[in-house]
Amino acid sequence: MLSCVGFLLLQILLLNNIKFLGFITPYLYIYFILLLPSSVSKEMTMVWGFLMGLVLDIFCDTLGCNAFATTFVSFLKPYFQNFFGPKDDFDDMKPSIDRFGFNMFIQYVAYLVLIHHLVFFLIEAFTFSMFWYTLLKAVCCSIFTLLLILCFEYFKAKRR
Amino acid sequence: MRTLILFLLRFKTLFLFLGLELISFWLIVNNNQFQRNHFLSSSNVMVGSVYSLSDKVYKYFSLASVNATLAKKNEDLNTELVQLREQLAFYRQDASYAGRRYHSVQNNYSFITAKVIHFSAVNQKNYFTINKGENDNVKVGMGVVNERGVVGIINSTSSHFSTVMPIVNASSKTSATIKGKTRLGQLSWKGKDLQHATLEEVPLYIPVTIGDTIVTSGYSSTFPEGFMVGKVSSFTERNDNFYNIRVRLAVDFDQLSYVDVIKYQYAEEKAALEKRKGQGND
Repeated sequence: MLSCVGFLLLQILLLNNIKFLGFITPYLYIYFILLLPSSVSKEMTMVWGFLMGLVLDIFCDTLGCNAFATTFVSFLKPYFQNFFGPKDDFDDMKPSIDRFGFNMFIQYVAYLVLIHHLVFFLIEAFTFSMFWYTLLKAVCCSIFTLLLILCFEYFKAKRR
Repeated sequence: MRTLILFLLRFKTLFLFLGLELISFWLIVNNNQFQRNHFLSSSNVMVGSVYSLSDKVYKYFSLASVNATLAKKNEDLNTELVQLREQLAFYRQDASYAGRRYHSVQNNYSFITAKVIHFSAVNQKNYFTINKGENDNVKVGMGVVNERGVVGIINSTSSHFSTVMPIVNASSKTSATIKGKTRLGQLSWKGKDLQHATLEEVPLYIPVTIGDTIVTSGYSSTFPEGFMVGKVSSFTERNDNFYNIRVRLAVDFDQLSYVDVIKYQYAEEKAALEKRKGQGND
């Protein structure tokens, strides 16, 4: 709960103001959704995602766009987690590099981040006519977000 | 009934997912002017393409009469052109005319200085907030400028703050003109880039060169005549006899700090008069 508020504040106050090269903004807040432990049910994951997206939308004047994209990712997250995560049965497994292995974790995060950004920018532009520009934007922003997530993971590993 | 409940329970994840996405979509379409307009217009694309196809077929049957009408129209326009040239030459001689008008415009406008306190440059729907509101006589629809040129229009107000829709918002439409020409064009913003906007509806018969100054027209009470908008950076000629002019905006939206809200002394009087006239026509 606390980290949810933390991620939202970080996103609203700091990251939304970053416009690297004029159009690249990281959307780090979905990292919170990606880190939810497997004990959280699929429904709860989606409710979390929807509420986070909604709060962010209210602050960014993009009512619905973030909520849509984040709900979409929260829906996919449990399936991706089962696919990329460790196959042996843990009751309460929190996604991390330790548990997944570096390769699998990167893939897990990268796919979901890319899907989120793509959905978000498509909904935001609301047209396919600038599709290649939107795609480019989504890819660039995803790379930026991914780098930030890696930084977070690095510091977490260091602290242990 | 039991089977229905069982069915719903079995797919509860999927239904929750669809439900939440529907809520999001509803929010998007209902609350964002940009998406709402687009939603309606894209559905019109289908209707439009059907009509244009049938139109293409019909057109061939009426070519002769169309040609005759066009020739007549051409003649009329040429006559009008000659008359207008004579009038223009007349007004150019009367230099004090322009000076007088400029002076009277100057006197009826006053300015309220405000500080920009928040600028949300999300991609298509940009807005910013200033620290003056209804208590300072700021009202919805007033124009906003800074020392470099036109910034935007007041979008909503509270007692101490107002939000401004800048000209770099996909829903923004401002009438502007090329300096020295009277013909109006419409300035809009296509997304992507905070430094350029597009001026449309300027017909091809008006000569345009790169570097021409674009100014406000003064036909609405929002902006006085002659406020700087930007300079022509490039233009293309479209098939439908209009230019597509790319305008390098004078205002640097990355570095907005102080802006001036324009207050027109007779705004209410003018709005009331125009409203009354509208009712008379009904």
